[in-house]
Amino acid sequence: MNLSARMIAVLTSVGLLSGGFLSTVGLLTKERIALNKQKEIEEAILAVVPGTESSQKLYEEKDLSIYGGKDEDGNLLGFAIHASGVGFQDKITLMFGTNASLTRITNLTILDQKETPGLGAKITDRESFLKYWENKDCSQPLSLRKPPAISPEDLSSSEVNTITGATISSESVLNTVNLSLERLKRLKTEGKFAIEERNAN
Amino acid sequence: MPTKSIGEEFLKGFWKENPIFRQLLGMCPTLAVTNAMINGLAMGLATAFVLIFSSLVVSSIKKLIPSQVRIATYIVIIATFVTIADRFLAAFFPPISKNLGPYVPLIVVNCIILGRQEAFSSKNTVGRSLIDAFGMSLGFILGLLILSAIREILGFGTFFGFQVMGQWFKPWIIMILPPGAFITLGILLALALQIERKTKARR
Repeated sequence: MNLSARMIAVLTSVGLLSGGFLSTVGLLTKERIALNKQKEIEEAILAVVPGTESSQKLYEEKDLSIYGGKDEDGNLLGFAIHASGVGFQDKITLMFGTNASLTRITNLTILDQKETPGLGAKITDRESFLKYWENKDCSQPLSLRKPPAISPEDLSSSEVNTITGATISSESVLNTVNLSLERLKRLKTEGKFAIEERNAN
Repeated sequence: MPTKSIGEEFLKGFWKENPIFRQLLGMCPTLAVTNAMINGLAMGLATAFVLIFSSLVVSSIKKLIPSQVRIATYIVIIATFVTIADRFLAAFFPPISKNLGPYVPLIVVNCIILGRQEAFSSKNTVGRSLIDAFGMSLGFILGLLILSAIREILGFGTFFGFQVMGQWFKPWIIMILPPGAFITLGILLALALQIERKTKARR
């Protein structure tokens, strides 16, 4: 066999073998990876809408998904909003929960972020950041308290804390929450997911 | 090429030809993921998996590969194992997969793997290539662990996630940022050179 034929033969067969092998591995792990993603979302919904027994996706668009969390009788407990926005380094993906009437934020959790370790990455830390988001009045857009308050009691009901040295990361989270809340309220008044709500009740 | 004993072939990866401290190969993951020991270990194990299997495959089919396309063939083989490692981590260890982010797929271009194929597996028997790959992998893991231990202890005050520094300790945030990686690696390289020089002088 001449050289170029041999080169083609070797590269083609290595490529084919590799492709075949990888598609098998892909098939074997695909389900599990999808399951992991789903589990992560379900756990986050449970964390932000306490007492959720089942959840249902009500609406989806780019960078925003809305889930309804229901108790065991199927009553709507609140909404879980899965949203992403621009952070300091990369996208920040988060999930926050509201009550059913959209007047209070129950809780916030960060799902994915690539902020600066030790500074902006503190947005994932409950003690220094997330606990200041629990049970906030969101009938108006929330605002940041800067310099940060020492304890959650020092903040007004529509204020959240800034992380010292990571104002941009704190602002990104705030903006993502405020923007998606605004969008959610508009969607709700437009009745974009009214049917599901009725089913729930 | 002077023949080495099996033991020497295995041990050279730990010190004499340590990928990180002596060959300075695979610096990208070395610097990028060593901010916590668990990440360093996971990266080390993933690289070891890819290196060992690539060496096994390359050394067993080395006679079939025309030398003009050898690099392309090695890369396809390496990329195959990297993708397997990546999917495996995403399926079974999602938090680790998330922490390592793009650095798992980037193992493909980790020079230590391609380097071993070109410098060793393509010229040696399957057995020797495997021993070489094991030695190099362990040397690489060891290097990553030393680097990440220093950075994690100083940067978070923890060792494998366990608090080891007392309340008085204020973490040096710079150690878990990129500059910390360069500083630590630089100091370790200087140390390694110094030790090497001392042992050479004694001989």
